[in-house]
Amino acid sequence: MTRSGSKTVWLGVAGLAGFAAILELLPRLGVVREQYTPPTSRILAELVDQIGQQRLWTAIGNTLTTWVIGLGIAVAGGVVVGVLIGSVPVLRAATASTIEFLRPIPSVAWIPVAFALYGSDRPGTLLLVVYASFWQVLIQVLHGVVDVDPVARDTALAYRMGRWDRIRWLVWPTALPYVVTGIRLAAAVALILTVTGELLMGTPGLGNEIAVATTSRAVPLTYALVVVTGLVGVAANLLARALERRVLAWHPSQRAEVPA
Amino acid sequence: MRRRFAALLFVAVLLVPAACGDGGDGTGDGDRPDDGGPDVVTVGLIPIVDVAPIFLGEEQGFFEKRNIELETTFATGGANIVPGVASGEFDFGFSNIISMLLAHSNGVPIRIVSNGNNSTTVEGQDFGALIVRADSPYQTAADLEGAAVASNTLQNIVETVVRESVRQAGGDPDLVNFTELPFPDMQPALEAGDVDAIFVVEPFTSAAIAAGHRVLASSYAQAAPDLTVAVYFTSLNLIERDPDLVRRCTEAMQESLAYADSHPEETKRILLEYTQIPEEALADLILPRFPPEINRESVEIMARLALEDGLLSQMPDLDALLPDTASS
Repeated sequence: MTRSGSKTVWLGVAGLAGFAAILELLPRLGVVREQYTPPTSRILAELVDQIGQQRLWTAIGNTLTTWVIGLGIAVAGGVVVGVLIGSVPVLRAATASTIEFLRPIPSVAWIPVAFALYGSDRPGTLLLVVYASFWQVLIQVLHGVVDVDPVARDTALAYRMGRWDRIRWLVWPTALPYVVTGIRLAAAVALILTVTGELLMGTPGLGNEIAVATTSRAVPLTYALVVVTGLVGVAANLLARALERRVLAWHPSQRAEVPA
Repeated sequence: MRRRFAALLFVAVLLVPAACGDGGDGTGDGDRPDDGGPDVVTVGLIPIVDVAPIFLGEEQGFFEKRNIELETTFATGGANIVPGVASGEFDFGFSNIISMLLAHSNGVPIRIVSNGNNSTTVEGQDFGALIVRADSPYQTAADLEGAAVASNTLQNIVETVVRESVRQAGGDPDLVNFTELPFPDMQPALEAGDVDAIFVVEPFTSAAIAAGHRVLASSYAQAAPDLTVAVYFTSLNLIERDPDLVRRCTEAMQESLAYADSHPEETKRILLEYTQIPEEALADLILPRFPPEINRESVEIMARLALEDGLLSQMPDLDALLPDTASS
C-alpha cells in the first residue's frame, strides 16, 4: 500500500505543480493578459499577504459557520425525514412524486425568495444551503432504509423486536453507509451553495469578499480568494472522508485492505 | 464510534433552533432595544466608492453621537437593495436616482432621505465616464450610432445619461446598441473588441484612462450640472413608525457627506478599509462630489429624460419621493 500510495501522492503533487506552471506561463508568454489573469506567483504572493490579515480569517470563519449550520440542519432533517418516510410504505409512496418534483429545482432559483425573506443575512444563504444538501441526504437515507436484509428483518420480527429497536439495531446500521455517503455529497454541495449565496446575496463570507475584490478591481486578490475557497473545499472533503472512515470502520467497504 | 456519530447528530439538531433564531431577530426593523443601548440601523450598500461618506461618518462618530449603531451590508448589485428596504430587511439603502424614480412610479413604498453622491461636473474628470479605445474612430458621442455600448444594467441610469450624451452631440440615441456587462468586465471587453464603448465608474474609470483609453464623454456631467447620481432612502413604513430615528439618521448621513466632501484625502483613505481597491490606485482615483443636499433640479432633469426614453410613463410626483426639506 505504502509504495503505490506514495506514488499516487507524488503524481498528484506533480499534476498540481504542472497546472500551476501552466497558469504561470500563460500570462508571462502573453497568451492571456496579465492584467486580468495574473500568473500563479502573483496570486500566491497576494495569498501570503492576505494570510496575515484579519479580514480573510473573518471571512473564512463566516463561510465555515454558514456551511456547518446548513449542513447540520440538512443532515438532521434528511436523516429524520428519511427514516420516517422510508419505514412507512404509505408515506413513501405518497411523497415520492413530491420529492422528485422538488429535488431537481436548482437551489439558486430560490435566491430571489431567500433575499426577499432574509436580505443579506445568514438565514437567506442557509435556505439555499439546506435546500440543496437536504435532498442529498434524504435520497441516500431512503435508499438505505429499504436495503435491510430480508432475512435479518424476518428474524427481528420473529424475535418480536419493537419498532424502535428495529430502527436502532436493524435499519440504522444498514442505512449508515448510505447516510455517510449522503453527508459527504451534501458537504460538497453545501459549500458550493454557501459561497454562491455570499457571492450573489452579500451574506458575509468568502463569496462576498470575492465580490468586493472584483468591484474594487483587485484582480490578484480575486484569484487568491478563489484559491482559498478551493482550499476550504479540499479541507471539507478531507473532513467528510475522515468522518466516513471513523463511523464506518466496521463496514466491509472501509476494510478493503484486509483480503476477504 | 456510534456514540460519536450520535453526538454529532445531536449537535446538528441543537443548531436547528439556533439558526432559526437568527432569522427571527429581524435586524432590519430599526429595533429599539429596551436596555437603552444605541438603535441598530441596517443599511444596504454597494461596495463601491460612492458610499465612502457613510464609513467615514461612522469612523468620525457622527452616527454614534446620535445614538445610532450602523450595521452595513454589501448587497452585491444595487438591484437587491430597493426590495430589501421596501420589505424592511434594511432600514436604509443606497441607490441611483433612476432606480428611485422607477421604484416610486411602480408604487414601491419608499422615500429618499438624503443625497448620496454627485457628478463632479468637470468634463473628462468625473468618476463615471463613457470610454472608447484610443485608436477608435469615434470622436463624439453622436458617432456611437450603430455602435455597441456596455452598460452595467440595461434601462437604468447609465443608459439614460449615455443616451443624453448622444442626443446632446446631435445623434439618435435609439440607434445605439446597449449591452449589459458588469463594470469589472467592461475594460477587457473593450480591449477584446466585443464592445465599441463602455461606461464605467471608479475605480474602473481611472484604470481605463491609465491603460490609454480615451474619454469620449463625461455623461453624468453632461446630463445635468451637479447631477445627483445616487441617494439614500428608507421605507414609508419606517418614516411612519419611527420618524425620530429617520431624522437622526438623515442628519448623521448629511454630516458625513459634508465631511467627506471637504476631506477628499480621508475619503480615499477610508476606501482602503471597506473596499479592496489597491492603495496604488488611489492617487489617480476621481472621487464623486458629496454635497449633503439633493440637487432637485437635476432630479427633475433625470425624470424628464427617463420619461423621454420611455422608462417612465408619466412624470413622477417628486414631492412625494424627495425629502420634505421644509420641515427638517
